[in-house]
Amino acid sequence: MIPNRSYRSGHPSHALRQSLILFTTIVLMLIAFATSAYAHAVTPGDAGYIQEIFGVHIISFIYLGAKHMITGYDHILFLLGVVFFLYHMKDVAIYVSIFAVGHSITMIAGVWFGWGINAYIIDAIIGLSVVYKALDNLGLYQKWLGFQPNTKAATLIFGLFHGTGLASKILDYQLSEDGLLANLLAFNVGVEVGQLLALFVILIVMGYWRRSPNFMRQASVANIIMVGLGLLLTYQQIAGYIAST
Amino acid sequence: MNNAPKPNIEDLPTPVQLRRSTIIAGMTAIAIGVMVYLPAEYGTDPTGVGSILGLTEMGEIKQQLAAEAAADEALHGGDESSSLMNDIFGLFVGAAHAQEAWQDEVTFTLAPGDSTEVKVTMEEGTTLTYAWVTTGGRVNFDLHAHSGSDEVTYERGRGETSGEGSITAPFAGDHGWFWRNRDDIELTVTLQLSGAYSEIVRGE
Repeated sequence: MIPNRSYRSGHPSHALRQSLILFTTIVLMLIAFATSAYAHAVTPGDAGYIQEIFGVHIISFIYLGAKHMITGYDHILFLLGVVFFLYHMKDVAIYVSIFAVGHSITMIAGVWFGWGINAYIIDAIIGLSVVYKALDNLGLYQKWLGFQPNTKAATLIFGLFHGTGLASKILDYQLSEDGLLANLLAFNVGVEVGQLLALFVILIVMGYWRRSPNFMRQASVANIIMVGLGLLLTYQQIAGYIAST
Repeated sequence: MNNAPKPNIEDLPTPVQLRRSTIIAGMTAIAIGVMVYLPAEYGTDPTGVGSILGLTEMGEIKQQLAAEAAADEALHGGDESSSLMNDIFGLFVGAAHAQEAWQDEVTFTLAPGDSTEVKVTMEEGTTLTYAWVTTGGRVNFDLHAHSGSDEVTYERGRGETSGEGSITAPFAGDHGWFWRNRDDIELTVTLQLSGAYSEIVRGE
């Protein structure tokens, strides 16, 4: 009786086990197929594009440099501070050139020599450069210090910091060694192109604004807001630095 | 309280000049948007200028990467990259030992823009030794593995024509290469393998 019963009940249980094994195998194969389908760590966007290419790509890097400048609100904010009270084209050209020389030097040198400076610290200093220039525009250094610190020297020194910030972003992009110098110079040209495009818009807006009879009063308010924005940028970067350590 | 006197109205640009500048700026913005931005970001090039500048290729690569990243996300969920794991196991990439004989040889050809995967199934702790060489163009590669929540990147490269070394699997699964041709000519990769793997898996 016992073997008989065992035989009778054994047959369906064998079939069940077979289908269970088949089912499990199919599921495991599907999982294996799904996980092996793709998925090397993909980096999208500008960085992903840069990490895919090698060799000299002049126009691509001019575009990326210009895009970086135009979308880099900290650089634009500092630029706005620098030209806020400049309306003679000669003055604008001199100060913008000083800023360009400053950030070009450290941008190219920083990438070329691979200065590994913490991006949060540099960006915090860039935030402070906005604060510095806005306080300068408000004339507070003359009030507090009794003299006017050299504005051209300040523009150059902060330009050097802005370039170091640019360099740390470019290092994050991991440019190929193949074509590095040409691509870097193209990126720098792009940064200047982007700066000129932004400057053109700033000067139009400021041109309309300066004609307004309330300009001088509103200028004070605008620069006080700029101090606040600069402090906000600095705060964000310091908070980011603390969170990253 | 400003560090400058009120601007002299005669020195300022006149409303006519400003209006003219605004129109120029607006037209420039539209031109850049259509001829530069659209090709470089989305790979769409209504005017043909983006292709002449070589920016359409950038947009196409970005779109391709975005699609791959989305597919990746769908497969694996959110962020699972472990840079510490990558750092540690990156050390396992060593120089190839002199090989008496290779177990397998895999040869494949990639047209510009094409990609493929070649992996081997390995148990934890086993070693794969490899050497590869390209003919024709130069190749981009990503030597990696992932299985469940484990992930490792052994080595990445771009524009390379040869490579050799060995990897030791930190976990069981399929370990191997993602290959992509970013060169402008067709290339052929000849890959030689030996080690304690059970099978060779070829992806798309």
